[in-house]
Amino acid sequence: MKIKYILVLLLVTAIVLSGCAQQTEEVMETEEPQETEEMVETEEPQETEVVDVEEPEEESMLEVCLEDEFGCAEIPSGETIKIGMGAPLLGDYSMFGTDISQAVSLALAMDDGFEGWTYELVAEDTGGTPEAGAAVANLLVTDPTVVAIAGHIFSGSTDAAIPIYDAAGLPMMSPSATNPDLTQKGSAVFNRLAFTDADQGKSAASLLYNDLGFRKIGVMHDGGTYGQGLADVVQAEFENLGGEVVAYEGITPGEADYVAPLSAVAAGEPEAVYFGGYAADAIVMMNQWAQAGLEGVLFFGCDGTFGVEFTDKTGPNGEGAIAASLVPPDSPEKTAFDEAYAAEYPTEAGELSAFTWSSYDTGNVLIAAIESVAFVEGDTLYVPRGALVEAVRNTDFVGLTGLIKCDEIGECNASGPAFYQVVDGEWVPLDLGS
Amino acid sequence: MIEKLKKTRFTPRLALRLVIAIALLVYLTWRVVQVTASEAVFGPDTWLRFLISGLVIGGMYALIAIGYTLVYGILFMINFAHGEVMMLGTFAGYFMLEAFSTIPGPGNQEVNFLNAQPIIALILTFIVGAGVAALVGYLLEKIAYRPLRGAPRLIPLISAIGASIFLQNAAQLLFGPQRRQYSNPDLLWRGTGWMIPVGDKTVMLTYTGVFSFVLSILLMIGLFVLVKKTKLGKSMRAVAENKQAAALMGIDVDSVISKTFLISGALAGAAGVMWGIHNGLFNHYVGFIPGIKAFTAAVLGGIGNIPGAMLGGMVLGLMESLGPALLGLDFQIKDVIAFTILILVLIFRPSGLLGEALTEEKI
Repeated sequence: MKIKYILVLLLVTAIVLSGCAQQTEEVMETEEPQETEEMVETEEPQETEVVDVEEPEEESMLEVCLEDEFGCAEIPSGETIKIGMGAPLLGDYSMFGTDISQAVSLALAMDDGFEGWTYELVAEDTGGTPEAGAAVANLLVTDPTVVAIAGHIFSGSTDAAIPIYDAAGLPMMSPSATNPDLTQKGSAVFNRLAFTDADQGKSAASLLYNDLGFRKIGVMHDGGTYGQGLADVVQAEFENLGGEVVAYEGITPGEADYVAPLSAVAAGEPEAVYFGGYAADAIVMMNQWAQAGLEGVLFFGCDGTFGVEFTDKTGPNGEGAIAASLVPPDSPEKTAFDEAYAAEYPTEAGELSAFTWSSYDTGNVLIAAIESVAFVEGDTLYVPRGALVEAVRNTDFVGLTGLIKCDEIGECNASGPAFYQVVDGEWVPLDLGS
Repeated sequence: MIEKLKKTRFTPRLALRLVIAIALLVYLTWRVVQVTASEAVFGPDTWLRFLISGLVIGGMYALIAIGYTLVYGILFMINFAHGEVMMLGTFAGYFMLEAFSTIPGPGNQEVNFLNAQPIIALILTFIVGAGVAALVGYLLEKIAYRPLRGAPRLIPLISAIGASIFLQNAAQLLFGPQRRQYSNPDLLWRGTGWMIPVGDKTVMLTYTGVFSFVLSILLMIGLFVLVKKTKLGKSMRAVAENKQAAALMGIDVDSVISKTFLISGALAGAAGVMWGIHNGLFNHYVGFIPGIKAFTAAVLGGIGNIPGAMLGGMVLGLMESLGPALLGLDFQIKDVIAFTILILVLIFRPSGLLGEALTEEKI
């Protein structure tokens, strides 16, 4: 009996060991092409067999990679070209992350790929916080097949991630991070498609004062980097123009009753109220507008409040509200994308956030940049990282949202904000004539 | 009182507490005097709006706070998943109202059931919302807390936090992250109400606000009667006093605990439906902030004490809406004000506004 057991045990050990051996062989094989780069440099004798055959070709390719500041990303055949993303996929702001990651994935899926390599989005959850933004960035830089970053999504989380991508040479293109400071820090890798809060705030203040003729406004915000930043710009600009800000109040986002702060603003008797923040809170505010004594006072929102959700959920209460937006005018390409989006996902394009179209453009801009620098040698795709950083910064592209052309600090939205107004429950371009 | 004072020795700790308390009190009084004495920032209409808003919110805080207090009174643990129980009640109520707005009303095919029979629809919605939440509370106790009954007190607390995260994410996966809006019957439409003339202005007293406030008061009276006058209430009080002694007297402790969770869940569910009807917008995250606020309210009123939770909820709601205005500060820091007052109360009365003397076991 004992001998039987020993035999069985031996058999099992043998099988396990042979399995291990096969695995290690496989690992060796896949690792080889990555190792060659260093191997050739030092010209170690062990690898002669493989290296000798490919040496002349490899040298030409290596020059590009060696000269590149950050080296090359090497993607073996069978792997995908990965684009990373840090987005709020869970939690209170998950609709932004869900929408943006869906639109970028769709752009990547709709592309035919490059020389047989296809694209894949690696979206990691940040919850929108700076801490998680840095953690996600640290995670993504360790993946050698991630070549570019679509994002991050919120300004705070992006701010925390920029230095990490800067060190690793991963170009970023954010469809939605709008805090003005982000491009002022001399980062080579950060670019964005969103117009800045400073641009938007200035246009909003000028529209309120010059075009709409208001002299007394209230300013409200949600206390976030984005919302309060925007509100502060509007307040400063409006006062610069000669207007009076009669009330300035912050709310605590996520709560569902803003009657008290709204009443405090109403007590200042403003002609219009500017709000810097997101649709979730703007909808609740609109529905409590009359209750707080703000009946007949114009609501002026930002691109965070724009969207189908606002009109759907405020109904008649939201009539007349103004907001800024990235949403492009209708075009055949936009219609085609909207149909593809609706066919792929349970929601319509633009239903979860207003960044759907700029996210799609982000995906396409990154694809175009990658394809302008990538090349194939043998069965490996090489993407010189430093060259890609430059290629993204030199983007000159016409997307759904119009001309995308980056300036020297990475501001890529060349069309600026458009203002929309709710008329009969629909967002229509603001008509100043009426 | 004087004798009690004579007995108290002035330790450095007590002196420090008194200094902090007096400093805070002086500051608060100074601000209130300064704001009210200076030019009138807010007219009487604005003050009335603050008051209404505070009472409505306070009523909902109170209902949720009772759940914390009931469970604490009996198990001496904080049920941190209580906000999520409320959230599931909100979802259940939402789906009921959605169903009523798609089926036609009796007799008249033009009007949906919701508007044809708004009272019946609302009653059914509240029953389903409270029922689902009660069931969730019951299962929560069975699955997450009962197996840990004998464990150190920190363990069920961690289990509660885990259950809270689980329920929140489960709701997101089940129902999606998008915000949904309650479809109220036209009778109770949000943003409509009685107009009260105040001076030369009018203040709107919303139907939903009055409805929520009255209903939460009725539910609290009901709970009070249940705890004070019924056999179940008596056994609940007995279990809260001493589990072993109650068991010796022939009370089925496990069943009383289960029923406590059913009741606290039902109240949270009702609060959830009210929240939906009054505020409209919600998603899987809706229970988080009210949960934390209601816990604060329960501590403020004296945790384990039912009238204390009611009072704490109302006081917290009013502090949040009146506090910043009285002190002339930004509404963004209303939580700072509310928590400063909480600290102040706890310095003077460590067991809360209406806190009972704690038994050995509870400390």
